[in-house]
Amino acid sequence: MKLQLLVSTGILLVALLPCHDCRALSKSPAAAASAPLPPDFLQPPPSLPVLLRMGEEYFLRLGNLNKIPAASFFASSSSSSSSRLPPGALASNFFRAAVQQLQQLPERSLESAAGPGEGEAESLPREVMEREKRSEEPPISLDLTFHLLREVLEMARAEQLAQQAHSNRKLMEIIGK
Amino acid sequence: MASAFRLQCHCILIFLAALKGETRYLEARGTGEDEPFLLPSADLKRELTGRQLYHRALRCIDMLSVEGQFTFTAEQPQLHCAAFFIGDPEELITLDYDFVNIDCQGGDFLKVFDGWILKGEKFPSSLDHPLPTSERYIDFCESGNIRRSFRSSQNVAMIFFRVHEPGNGFMFTIKKNANLFPCNVISQTPTGRFTMVIPHQHRNCSFSIIYPVVIKISDLILGHLNSLHLKKPSTGCAGVGDFVELLGGTGLDPSKMFPLADLCQSFHGSAQMKIGCDNTVLRMVSSGKHINRVSFEYHQLDQYELENRKENSIEEFCFPSI
Repeated sequence: MKLQLLVSTGILLVALLPCHDCRALSKSPAAAASAPLPPDFLQPPPSLPVLLRMGEEYFLRLGNLNKIPAASFFASSSSSSSSRLPPGALASNFFRAAVQQLQQLPERSLESAAGPGEGEAESLPREVMEREKRSEEPPISLDLTFHLLREVLEMARAEQLAQQAHSNRKLMEIIGK
Repeated sequence: MASAFRLQCHCILIFLAALKGETRYLEARGTGEDEPFLLPSADLKRELTGRQLYHRALRCIDMLSVEGQFTFTAEQPQLHCAAFFIGDPEELITLDYDFVNIDCQGGDFLKVFDGWILKGEKFPSSLDHPLPTSERYIDFCESGNIRRSFRSSQNVAMIFFRVHEPGNGFMFTIKKNANLFPCNVISQTPTGRFTMVIPHQHRNCSFSIIYPVVIKISDLILGHLNSLHLKKPSTGCAGVGDFVELLGGTGLDPSKMFPLADLCQSFHGSAQMKIGCDNTVLRMVSSGKHINRVSFEYHQLDQYELENRKENSIEEFCFPSI
């Protein structure tokens, strides 16, 4: 009985005690939703340098932010106390802000983009028919990785250079006649 | 009277001299004369302009950066095909269908997209493109008889196609046209330099580099601010009408990328930043009240810089989009 009481008391204390790491969680969803603003590099804490300066370069990084003071700017601008957050919280805030930013984007299904009338109000039977039609439609986006995209881009670039060389050769032959 | 008469004579003499001038001299020159710096003759011009258009077969997955005529003929059912088009930053892509033989009723399709779309992410983003997403797809099966020509709004475009029946296919011609004020651009190369100008236009323009790069901004002119009108540091760039932001991410859509830096004060000099993301975007937001300009250069981060800077891990910053 005593053990159960102690365990439940401990759980209550953990849940109710203020958690500095989770300060950003206490932000209202609206505030968090409005989060995706660019990091305000013009509002540095006095002890930290501005991220972007003339003639200097910075690596942008998230993770162990203790090593790179400038990277502590990498936090949600909605949090005025971001500079005082520990690095793990900054990372979680960054991730959370980015997820929220992605979730706020209007969902545009691939199928709906295939035809006109996207976003228009439709009656239910028509909507069902259109959904069925779209589900039968082939995908209109390619799942290509950046690596493959770069490969084909380089192939296209090589083709362009070869074509240019061929044109130059033809031009020289014509002029030389 | 004598002076007026002399003036008239001078005018007549000048007029006659102009009629006997060099322009007529050049027109009279023939091709038989031995002149090394002769302007191209009519025959020579015909030979240059009448050269055969570049032509090759189109692959199921292809990337085209040259002008020419391209033919796709299905040797077997090809159900998921796409071809990317890319030009120089100052070019627009024009596609003209020369011949199309597909079975639209049988499930074939041929669609042009104004931009690139990869894994559902579009470039330019919906926020930066003048057309709504639905109008960026031009379906040949729906509008083929009406619209057989397409011009992109930026230097990239692509087509999606599906052909079930072997032997069916299509042919199109790609041409490039000049774009005076390039707005949304995907760089063909990991190295280069560019100047983006937005002259009194209320639009947002993105320059995308699909490589980890170091980018150096050498010149930024935002018409709304000068050195005497410094904003309060607490406000930052948020709420400012015109600014430049650097974005990084693993997808194509700039609106889904994370902002790395924003610049809302004009400066001359260099500001350099290394961004180890799969995609780096420099985006200029313009209110239309000013002429804004940004000049920058970029080059790819080499493998040594990517691998040996453990304290700045790329994977920790650029996570896959959800």
